Amino acid sequence: MTAQRLSGQEVSTASAARPRKPGRGGASRRPSHWWVPWAFAAPGLILFFLTTGYPLVRSLQISFYNWSVLPTQASTFIGLDNYTRALADPQFWTSVTNAGVYLLMSVPATVALGLLFAVLLQKKMPGRTLFRILFYIPVVTSWVVVSLLFKFLFTTDDGAVNWFITDFLSLSDHAVPWLEQRWTGLIAISLLGIWKNLGWCLVVLLASLGGVGEELYEAAALDGANAWHKFVHVTLPGIRGTLLFVLVLQVIGAFNVFPSVLLMTNGGPAGSTEVPLTYMYKQAFSFLDFGYGSAMAFILAIFIFIVSFAQFKFLGEKKEALR
Amino acid sequence: MMKKLFTLSSIALLAAAGLTACDTGGGGAQPAAVATLSSGVAVSGEITFWHAYSAGGGEIKALEKTIIPNFEKLHPGVKVKSVQISDKDMHQKLVTAAAGQSLPDVIRADIVTVPELAKIGVLAPLSDAMPDFQSWANKMFPGPLATNKYNGKSWGLPLDTNTKVVIYNDQALKANGVASVPKTLDELKAAADKVGGKYILAEGGSGGWQMLPYIWSNGGDMTDPDVKKSAGYLNGPKAVAALQMIVDLYNKKAIPGVILGGSGGTPTGDGLPKGMYPAIVDGPWTFPGMATSYPNFQPKTSPMFSGDGGSVSVVGGEDIVMTQQSKNKELAAEFIRYMLSPDAQNAMGQVGQLSAEKDMAEAMAAIQPYYAAFLEQLKTAKPRPATPQWAKVDDIFTKQAQLALQGKLSVQEAMDAAVAQIDPLLAQG
Repeated sequence: MTAQRLSGQEVSTASAARPRKPGRGGASRRPSHWWVPWAFAAPGLILFFLTTGYPLVRSLQISFYNWSVLPTQASTFIGLDNYTRALADPQFWTSVTNAGVYLLMSVPATVALGLLFAVLLQKKMPGRTLFRILFYIPVVTSWVVVSLLFKFLFTTDDGAVNWFITDFLSLSDHAVPWLEQRWTGLIAISLLGIWKNLGWCLVVLLASLGGVGEELYEAAALDGANAWHKFVHVTLPGIRGTLLFVLVLQVIGAFNVFPSVLLMTNGGPAGSTEVPLTYMYKQAFSFLDFGYGSAMAFILAIFIFIVSFAQFKFLGEKKEALR
Repeated sequence: MMKKLFTLSSIALLAAAGLTACDTGGGGAQPAAVATLSSGVAVSGEITFWHAYSAGGGEIKALEKTIIPNFEKLHPGVKVKSVQISDKDMHQKLVTAAAGQSLPDVIRADIVTVPELAKIGVLAPLSDAMPDFQSWANKMFPGPLATNKYNGKSWGLPLDTNTKVVIYNDQALKANGVASVPKTLDELKAAADKVGGKYILAEGGSGGWQMLPYIWSNGGDMTDPDVKKSAGYLNGPKAVAALQMIVDLYNKKAIPGVILGGSGGTPTGDGLPKGMYPAIVDGPWTFPGMATSYPNFQPKTSPMFSGDGGSVSVVGGEDIVMTQQSKNKELAAEFIRYMLSPDAQNAMGQVGQLSAEKDMAEAMAAIQPYYAAFLEQLKTAKPRPATPQWAKVDDIFTKQAQLALQGKLSVQEAMDAAVAQIDPLLAQG
């Protein structure tokens, strides 16, 4: 959804920047009735308002209430109480911090590795298509399946990771309780995030790399640029827009990390690996505190909006400056 | 772009404000008065029954191939639609169905969810609705029956019950230098000191389900009898001493790390037959699984470790409840009666569901030899505090107990903090 929206923004910005062709050709393409474009957009718009727009507005309403699950029972309007409660809730801030740690541990590595493998797989080599498929398999595999698989790998007593560390490499004489501690738990969850998202970054960046003009590399070669120089001065500026797109979506995705945490640690022990989505899910569906869960969702949404806006503003301006 | 965003945001906010101004419900509409549902009246039509019976152990087969057909034969023309929902999803399904007004007629509900469902107004109080309620209630063990109480009424009847006892691996105990299974909390402590650094016992978590048997057996409690306050109980000397003993065992490495929530550690049901954990405190459902995966293992049972409070374990199981929304309450009540009849209770007993009825104890013990230990333990077993806030209360208690186990707080500090959070919830009722 977000990907579509963002890519849609890019497209509309690009088309807006393109000068209009004057003359009869432009006029003849204008629709005969004002409602024609709306009619074409209607199915998508209706679906959007039913599945996203209405729930969003309803959720905003719920966030101002001590919400009763039963429609036949009254809900009490409590203003911003749910919001102030969230801002004063140390567990909420722990969950936001954990999402931040997950972001720092997973996003740079995912994007960097995605770029590295994209560059490698762009070169003509035997088995290139096979590798592209292999890298993409984790993306299309269910989060539930891979989360349970990683939980199994990181099991304390019989896990493959502990076997590798203690028996194979002899780095430690005791098993690491990966999922029973905060930081080791977050490392395991981040490794899953990198493995799962790498393929998506790779495919998007690979497509973008194909769009960088061959003549630019030839010109750079004539100027005596080596492979590194070409990468820094031709490739990177050429895909900067896509990199920004990938980065923004990965950051949004990091704040929305959910099934892996729920299934690998369930936020434990003592809530130390809780992330915002697992915490708000529990508030709503375990404790029936839908108002509080909704308020946290909106605080997080505002936070993500600010971070995404800053990314576009900061990195987008650089893009303009480079041009 | 910013202008568009601003416009869209404004529309969304205005729409939200508009909705907010609307009435949000029926203004606290009282549930409809409950009609009297007498036994033996002519019934007809169809009802839906939600349950979390498992397919693997033959429970679904017993329900759908034996119990429901027999009930339909007794009442020609009626139909009971059985809907299985996994145990894990049941709570969420109930919540969303309550919100969407699409609950079934009868539910087999986990005992801890009954007060919560009663509070949000989705259940019909059986103590008011069924004239023969008291005669059914008299048949039940007191522990399971108490799980149905909320606000002075009984909202369901115990459909099946279970409790936990000490299940041990004789060979593993002896291998760790313990001649016989500890019978008391003191013997448990002494055994842990003796084996020094080897596991003696495993617990799969630190919530009320796991810790309350130790607190109760040591003579402590979580709340007052009316479940109005936890101050002086959960942070009282007996409860704190019981938890301190668990923390000490954990620090001495006599209890493995799975007590911190189970993520990543070997589950107790695997660790026991493998010989990793000499003893666990668990329910009758562990036996079929161990028999399948570890056919050569012979588990033995012993009552919950006793202390100043006796040998007190925790009641588990399910209650059968009727929803307010049911359009065929007569048939629903008749189905509830049949589910509690010896026919249905025996059929479920054959597939691992212990009856909560005192008269059925002998029949249950005859079905499976290992049932006897659980039936004996049920005589003193207690339910977790019956409060609609249980999910939150248990979450708070679990987290604080984990902080004590991790050494981040002393047991007293952790329980003081738990009480400070739990008591305002209990005050809400």
